[in-house]
Amino acid sequence: MVLVLMLSVGALLAREGEKGVSLSDADIARRFEERQQSVIASSIAALDPADPTKGGHYDVAACLQRGEKREAALARLTKILAVKADGNMFWMFPMVTLMMAGDQGLDAPSRARIAELWRTYWPSRGDTENHWVLYYSSLYLAAQTYPGAGPEKWFNGKSSAENMAEARSYLEHWMEVTTSFGQGEYDSPNYIEEYATGLALLSGWAQDAAFRQRAHLLLDYIFYDYAVETLDGYYGGAHSRVYPRQIVAPGLTPSLALGWLLFGFGERQPNGTVQILALSGYTPPPILERIARDRAQPYVERELKRTRWRLRNAGPESFVIGDKRTIPVYKYSYVDQDFILGSTQGGLLQPIQQQTWNLLWRTDRPAAQAANTFFGVQPYSSPLEGTMFFGGDWDTITNLIARSKADYDTPDKLPSGSPFEQVYQHGPALIALYDIPPGTRFPLVTMFFSRDLTHTEEDASGWIFAQGGPAYIAYRPFAAGEWKPNDWTGLLAHGAGGFISTDFAKWGTGHRCYVSPALKNGYVVQVAPARAFASYEAFKTAVRALPLTFTTAAQPEATFTSLDGTVIHARYGATPTVNGQAVDFANWPLFESPFGHATRGSQQLEIAHGAERLFLDFIHNARQESAVPAQP
Amino acid sequence: MSSRLSRFLVLALVAGIAAAPAAPVSRFYAAVSMTKAQKNSSTPLDSGLYLRQADGQWTNFGPRILGVTSLATSPVNPASLLLASADGVVRTTDGGKTWRKTTGWEVADVRAIVFDHANPAHAYAATAWGPLRSTDGGASWQLAQQGLARLYCQTILTDPASGGHVLLGTEDGVYASHDGAVTWARTAFPAVSVLRLAQSAADPKLLLAGTQGRGAWLSRDGGQSWTAADPGSATANLYAAAISPHTATQLAVGGWGIGVRVSADGGRTWADRTAGLPAKNVFVLAFDPDVKGRLWASTFEEGTYYSDDLGRTWRDGGLYGAYAFDLVFLPPAP
Repeated sequence: MVLVLMLSVGALLAREGEKGVSLSDADIARRFEERQQSVIASSIAALDPADPTKGGHYDVAACLQRGEKREAALARLTKILAVKADGNMFWMFPMVTLMMAGDQGLDAPSRARIAELWRTYWPSRGDTENHWVLYYSSLYLAAQTYPGAGPEKWFNGKSSAENMAEARSYLEHWMEVTTSFGQGEYDSPNYIEEYATGLALLSGWAQDAAFRQRAHLLLDYIFYDYAVETLDGYYGGAHSRVYPRQIVAPGLTPSLALGWLLFGFGERQPNGTVQILALSGYTPPPILERIARDRAQPYVERELKRTRWRLRNAGPESFVIGDKRTIPVYKYSYVDQDFILGSTQGGLLQPIQQQTWNLLWRTDRPAAQAANTFFGVQPYSSPLEGTMFFGGDWDTITNLIARSKADYDTPDKLPSGSPFEQVYQHGPALIALYDIPPGTRFPLVTMFFSRDLTHTEEDASGWIFAQGGPAYIAYRPFAAGEWKPNDWTGLLAHGAGGFISTDFAKWGTGHRCYVSPALKNGYVVQVAPARAFASYEAFKTAVRALPLTFTTAAQPEATFTSLDGTVIHARYGATPTVNGQAVDFANWPLFESPFGHATRGSQQLEIAHGAERLFLDFIHNARQESAVPAQP
Repeated sequence: MSSRLSRFLVLALVAGIAAAPAAPVSRFYAAVSMTKAQKNSSTPLDSGLYLRQADGQWTNFGPRILGVTSLATSPVNPASLLLASADGVVRTTDGGKTWRKTTGWEVADVRAIVFDHANPAHAYAATAWGPLRSTDGGASWQLAQQGLARLYCQTILTDPASGGHVLLGTEDGVYASHDGAVTWARTAFPAVSVLRLAQSAADPKLLLAGTQGRGAWLSRDGGQSWTAADPGSATANLYAAAISPHTATQLAVGGWGIGVRVSADGGRTWADRTAGLPAKNVFVLAFDPDVKGRLWASTFEEGTYYSDDLGRTWRDGGLYGAYAFDLVFLPPAP
């Protein structure tokens, strides 16, 4: 019945998308399957029967799943399994992918070796939300493989039944919190792949149909979260976590690799999660591609997220979910066909790698070279932040964070939250204010000007204008700064990790920053589509005429009338107003835009495209698809 | 017979003949992460327990788990051990042959763990997410949060003379429980993060606390009242605190940038005893129960040292590169 309804909905809504892309259900499904099959075919091709040192876990899994090159796959697997287990939860999910996807093709020695590894190697659980999702999704499926196995069969001395129960309990708790209050590691163009991995494994291979369904629903949920803030696969808006390489080069993020598989954006990029998704059999609901491609009208996307759990120094604004403290994260994105400007309210929302706001514009440059981003940051590091989110010690936490996130404790850092930063956005305009105490480790406000910007001009009016592809940008600093190259020389010399610095010369050079040392600081950013103006000059003229008052005295404060006539007022430490009305943070929705709606605490999400609806209901573990709005 | 083996046998025979029946020697463990060599990685090279052998070498003991911070043994069964780790509490009841995680997903970042010597079935743990209690020797655990303003805690003690009397060092000062951690009440301690609590084996009412930014505090009444102890470390982050099990007037504190400070008069006067250590960043101090007057100090990544003259001179005790969280002496194995 549901299938018939889906087909009729698809037929009703079939239409031509951008660039002649058909968005009918049938064509979306066909194209997805083609991409999926090409991934699997490439995985199989990666295994060389003449060389058992080539190919990874997923390539072996693909061969075993499809019954191709079985001998070569088993030979390669023997070598993989001979390597000393290492990597904790990052060891688990490749192993489980092999066990699940490759189950039909494993031989007895491989099965025995895998069982032995689960008995002898203790993979630690890690300390982030994505670690735990990977750990428990993998543990659940591994335990499922050995029904009835006793404690002696497991590294942690728990039976298969106990491990499954613990894993499921955590995962269901996480799903409930996520669909009620948002993710803690929200909207990360890097870490979306970790969540997709864990959920794809569960939705593909959990034997319990209800649990499999729940995982599938959450995959849809997370991919909706991405689809509604993407521009050609690039993940727009504010991010909980983004690595320094990808903050400069958004085309290198795993989200773009996923965007190719899910929606056909861009070119295929090598990516393990894409391989796992392809093997899992997951197919995204077609409404998601229709949303991801529909940028006919600009829209505002509001979302509620939460910070990572604050275990101490939680602050008076924190609240409790279960027995964990957090504070709300208010996300706001303005999505135009040519750009996305997105932000959060600022403050310490993540321990590392936070991007409080950014502008992303549509680009035709190859993804590996594109630097289609503009953003500001107050580079901040402190033990206060580290101990807020990690269980480490005050005097070593910063040092230990920087062992893997080499940029964390440098003034050149580009991803960072700051307790001295407050941002408010309305439409394609935002105000950022800073009140940095004297003695702060990096008393700077940095604006990143990528090499992809053109026509950058310092105007006599005080505005700095620039063009990012089809987007015009106006930036008005409240305090003077100076231009500096985006210089990571010192950072790289001190051993920034390969993941951070690989190919730095290709993506990291040619950018510059406008850096202001003023402690009382702020700026306004106004963005507009180039198509809305007769010329760049016309845009500049219009911006120059906009009313703007600001002060950086005791309390930084600004009042700005944006291009659409909206009066935005922000004062550091106070609730901002729009046209004289205080912003209602208390009723900020979990999701709200023309494409979806969810209320705080609901565990339900209604996804919409035109008259089409997809209702994800985590209370009843159900999905409803219809051509008309679902009943409330 | 190889020459190495024959030499060993000769030595063993000589030792057996010459040595008088020795008092049982404690098992000496270090809970460490090997962070010195951690480069471009979010995880240390190794993490877990190290057991000190008779020849002074340290060898791995128990499962390799991230964030192993401490160890406790049952007062009635030395083969029963509880391991505190980032993954939760891990228990052995056969002296370390097999291990079992006895906590669920709700428990993480266990920073300290103790048995209740006056009520050996009870055990307690301090975690970054709140304290835990067990009434079955650590086989199962319950959250124990009632009465706490903030949940973060990283140090915990019991009163060996009074079952169910527990002291907890939290983000918000020292809390006390008199009902086996079912409920907690604030003690007269500053609202400051407590990093280490130490107790005198000779006088259990004598307590020493190291704090974050507020130095050392002493209690002589089992934690009901506290006084600032050492003006010389009054603003330091003190991660280490120890009281001699033989001589209750011998105290030591250590911390970041301040090295080791000792008192030989019950806390009235203090002296800097850092000279001879390779670094001033000290995370653990412990008096050796088997060697009267021996004080152990573990520095951040620069090794662990011991002194037989209350810190006037130091000798290399190994564990170079380690970030030690605890040094634990347990009764001899059965």
